[in-house]
Amino acid sequence: MHPILSRPHRLLWYVLAWIIAGILLAWALVAVHSVVWHSALFFALPTVLLYGFILTSSYYVCLSLPIRQRTAVRVVAVFGSASLLISVLWVMLCIFWSNIIGDATGHPGNVLLDRHLTILLFVAAVLAYLVSLLAHDVFIAFENIRSAERQQIASQLQARDAELQMLRSQINPHFLFNSLNSISALTSINAAAARDMAIELGSFYRKTLALSEQTQISLGEEVELCQYFLAIEKIRFGEKLQVSWAIDPATLTAQVPAMFMQPLIENAIKHGICNLSDGGVVQIKSVVENGWLHIAISNPVEPESPSAIGTATGLKNFKARIHNLYPEKSRISWYKAHNNFYLDMIIPFEPAVAGSRNE
Amino acid sequence: MNKILQLLIVDDEPLARALTREYLAKHTDINIIGEAANGLAAVEAINKLAPDLILLDIFMPKLNGLEVLELTGRSSGVIFTTAYDQYALKAFDLHAVDYLLKPFSQARFDDAIARARKLLDVPPVNIPELIADTKLERIVVRDRGQIHIVPLSEVDYVEAQDDYISIHWNGKAILKTQSLSSLEAQLDEQEFVRIHRSVIVKLSAVKYLERISKDAQVAVLHSGVKLPVSRAGYERLKVFVSQL
Repeated sequence: MHPILSRPHRLLWYVLAWIIAGILLAWALVAVHSVVWHSALFFALPTVLLYGFILTSSYYVCLSLPIRQRTAVRVVAVFGSASLLISVLWVMLCIFWSNIIGDATGHPGNVLLDRHLTILLFVAAVLAYLVSLLAHDVFIAFENIRSAERQQIASQLQARDAELQMLRSQINPHFLFNSLNSISALTSINAAAARDMAIELGSFYRKTLALSEQTQISLGEEVELCQYFLAIEKIRFGEKLQVSWAIDPATLTAQVPAMFMQPLIENAIKHGICNLSDGGVVQIKSVVENGWLHIAISNPVEPESPSAIGTATGLKNFKARIHNLYPEKSRISWYKAHNNFYLDMIIPFEPAVAGSRNE
Repeated sequence: MNKILQLLIVDDEPLARALTREYLAKHTDINIIGEAANGLAAVEAINKLAPDLILLDIFMPKLNGLEVLELTGRSSGVIFTTAYDQYALKAFDLHAVDYLLKPFSQARFDDAIARARKLLDVPPVNIPELIADTKLERIVVRDRGQIHIVPLSEVDYVEAQDDYISIHWNGKAILKTQSLSSLEAQLDEQEFVRIHRSVIVKLSAVKYLERISKDAQVAVLHSGVKLPVSRAGYERLKVFVSQL
């Protein structure tokens, strides 16, 4: 919608300005051509006001030619022809209107407009249209800057949220204390297993801390982190939890955000495997296809459980985080079918440049 | 010699159950009569075995610890165990309900057992109060031996019917023995509004209000159902009218 026409108070000021312009034109007619005041006003006010509204059309001319697609030739052609065409039409309307006024006041023929004045009106109309195009261009540019700023602030806020979310999931107190409880239980049952679990837990937290300092890691590192995590979860849940990996070796070098798969696997265990008396298999797949990295994670869910996907807030937050990192270049979807929960994710495949991590 | 206590262990992790068994080994006056690995199994076991004492994990698959207690009507002889749950712990402290934080020591465990034993004959009030005080995320209903879980996000409205409440969700309805007022206290007042002595409605389920006479209004839901709105109910609704 046009920035002036859509706001009543702006429109009011705009109309007022053009009424004053109309009065000025009428005054010029009276002063220079000694036309009577009422004829002059009757001619000038409607035509000038009408042109005021015609000028707003330049907004759409500007929009039709986005800055990025502009070349000198195109700008001259579009802006020039629009100005000329509009001005010709308007001047023709002016002549028509002045004839009507002439007839009505009993002075047939064109008493208001002589040739000079017609040309003057035409030139003024062309110039006014060009100025209007320029003004609208400036306005659009400002709007673009403002909306870009707004977007930047929004995405910064989202990024900070994601960071907090990530920190919380890194520490994950529920996971930590339950694991410590498992170690405490194992000390008397199987001391060696208790030691293993303490070591796995240490490795997992060390890895998370190391990775949290980087925004981008390789998929290989993420897989390693997930394996530490799963080793602990396997001790906690025993035979119930099975994992099947199908990682395409070509994807191991892919650059991905830290904590890119671990929350999804945690989700699969918490809302899927956990609820099944006999447990099940979490399947994790990765492939590269035409420059895209595909990740697919699936797990069995309880058939009758309405909460199988939870409230999906965790997944929605995750999706927002990934979309924020790859605007318009990522896709995450999930669905439930045949007592299984499927999650598919696609992001651009960006292999790490060898040695770039040491720079 | 103490009376032999019949005890039930409820925890979804086998190792956590093993640890509890180990700690119980020296308590010769306690008999482990069963173990449950999820909320549903716990409800069954409590109904069937009627244990004197329950060691109850809070965060569990299927049903959480509080839901297990609500469904079984159990109000005493419970020690909660949990790894981490800020909100639950605050509520436990408030209502003086005992709990064990994982990982816990043998000494701390023995204390809890001794305290629970002393309290067995005291008429319990704290657990029912704790449940009444807990904000719900879903409603659990036991209907002829079957347990239904109704997510609040799918509930349209709840109606009082004699001693029952009738919960309407997804075009279905189910009866539960509870008072409308006690349910109201457990719901988020930003989301659910009592529009009538006998009706609580979810705001987002309301499509519009319709005036049927000078001072009688009905709320029309997206599903087409029309519900009465009392004058007091209208006053409560008015606060949210801009959202409707």
